Amino acid sequence: MPEAIEIQLKKGALELCVLALLHRHDSYAYEIASRLADAIGMGEGTIYPLMRRLQSDGLVETYLVESSAGPPRKYYRLSEAGKKSFNSQAAAWKSFSGAVDTILGGAQ
Amino acid sequence: MTRQAFMARLREGLRGLPPQTVTDIVADYEAHFADGEAAGRTEAEVAAALGDPDRLAREIRAESSLNRWREERSPSSAAAAVFAVLGLGAIDILVLLPILMGVAGAIVGLAVAVIVCFFAGAVVFAAGPFTDPPGGPITAILAGIGIMAGSASGGALLTIVSIGLMNALVWYGRLHYRLLKPALEPQA
Repeated sequence: MPEAIEIQLKKGALELCVLALLHRHDSYAYEIASRLADAIGMGEGTIYPLMRRLQSDGLVETYLVESSAGPPRKYYRLSEAGKKSFNSQAAAWKSFSGAVDTILGGAQ
Repeated sequence: MTRQAFMARLREGLRGLPPQTVTDIVADYEAHFADGEAAGRTEAEVAAALGDPDRLAREIRAESSLNRWREERSPSSAAAAVFAVLGLGAIDILVLLPILMGVAGAIVGLAVAVIVCFFAGAVVFAAGPFTDPPGGPITAILAGIGIMAGSASGGALLTIVSIGLMNALVWYGRLHYRLLKPALEPQA
């Protein structure tokens, strides 16, 4: 079932993708959600529970930024633990996907 | 669906959670609508992308009950978790209900039996030596201690089994998330 495999892959990669976006620059939930919805087809509402979980796990921190229109906006940034977690997850992902690529290349 | 209708149904569905949590969640989705409109989308488009607010609220509530069970192993948090899983309302959970009630009944029955055995042991221990039992008073005292120790270990085993069953139910309940699924599954 290719569809099930795709869901499994996305599920495993979602947290890593969020950490990666935040590693590049601080961001707010709507921006993260729309980037990931376009790129990997994630449901938009999914981002909020995920951010709450990352926050309670101590991987991200929030701060408010005044905006010209409307209420202040909540930004997320990686904590020290978040940076550490991102580095180890990214390294694990690269070595795993590299190994899979090698095998796929050999099969074609 | 309009933003107002979506937020009203979400707020209604979240009732019962701590007020601070509800405020945080509601603020997140309000901001999402505001940002979506700023990006040129209609309220209806944003609402459709977010999914059914009733379902969303049910899953958020279930997740919070399941987390409470994870942090605090108490009968009340267990009951809250069971009701949260039932609230997810999948058909196979309804099929599961009679089995669940049977298992819960068996656990309560065994718990009562363990307590009764413990007190029976105490009676043998305290009153046995005065009733001229076969084998002498020492035998009665040792038998009483033995019965109490046996029922205490039975109670401990029963507790371990109940916690294991609850964890299995929590795992099963999480399988029924539709909207929150990718975000809340524990990452390996």
